[in-house]
Amino acid sequence: MAIRGTGEGTDDIVKRIALLLTAFFIVFFFSLQTAFAQVQVRMRVILASNAGQEIDPSLRDVHKELGSLFSFTSYRLIRDESLNLSLNQPIRITGRTGKAFLEATLVGLHRNMAELRLRVVREGTEILNTQVRLFAGRTVFVGGPRYGEGVVIYALYGNF
Amino acid sequence: MKNSCSSISKLLEKYFDREVTEKERVLVEGHLQDCLACRNALRSMEELRTLIKVPVEEAVQKEEFPWVWQKIEREIRLQKKLTWWQTLRSWIDVSPLLKRKVWIPAAATLVVLLLISAQIIFQKTPSYPDASVVEYVESQTDNVMVYQLEKPKVTVIWLFEGPEKEQTTL
Repeated sequence: MAIRGTGEGTDDIVKRIALLLTAFFIVFFFSLQTAFAQVQVRMRVILASNAGQEIDPSLRDVHKELGSLFSFTSYRLIRDESLNLSLNQPIRITGRTGKAFLEATLVGLHRNMAELRLRVVREGTEILNTQVRLFAGRTVFVGGPRYGEGVVIYALYGNF
Repeated sequence: MKNSCSSISKLLEKYFDREVTEKERVLVEGHLQDCLACRNALRSMEELRTLIKVPVEEAVQKEEFPWVWQKIEREIRLQKKLTWWQTLRSWIDVSPLLKRKVWIPAAATLVVLLLISAQIIFQKTPSYPDASVVEYVESQTDNVMVYQLEKPKVTVIWLFEGPEKEQTTL
């Protein structure tokens, strides 16, 4: 009896150590992985049209850029958000009505680049599906979906 | 050298229990050859053991130890069940472990695993060459154009929606 009890006690200690270590590593590894596999992306949703000459004051920093790329006369900022994208965790940016959205998913991360999958969906129909490499210092514009008299432009900037 | 009975008698019990050293054994056996009183004392011990051993062994054979163990197990089961929090606390409590030396190999293992995992986790992913930005683009409904500028560093993905698809929802 005594020998059996001692053996079980040692086994129990070993099991406890093994389980505690396993639990520690699972938490440690996943928390680090989650912390490191994140990227911050700034996304602006711009409504561009030829109705009027209005330039949103908050778009003055990119007005020149927009003017050199597109031939619209009016630019209005609808949304300006910083997205914390985690690996394979899609984030949706909806418009005013919620019927159209852009879904951004981080699918890869390098030192100077984030790979993003972007989907534009309107009323349940996917109208655009693309995968881009967003480098630090580069802006990616996804535009064209019509809205009223103008179009919507999604501007993405990598903050890394 | 003759050893007195008083000094040998102290060793006699140890000799009887076979707990003496080799030197002590030689000493006791040498004395026993010459000393009748100590031989008798040793014989008495043997007789006493026989007297105790036989009935104890018989009693042990009669006793149903599995039944005793079952009783103990039943008592354990009847004990108050711990709450999940108490169970968790008992698992987290490492004080019993600190009383043993198991923490030394455990700590060593921990350090080794940390070093290995740190190399994997902190391994820097290579810089990606600033090549093409768009990996793929598709639209099942409309045409898409991609253009890329290096100054300023801009990439445009443009969806050409037909006028018939003009939408007013966003």
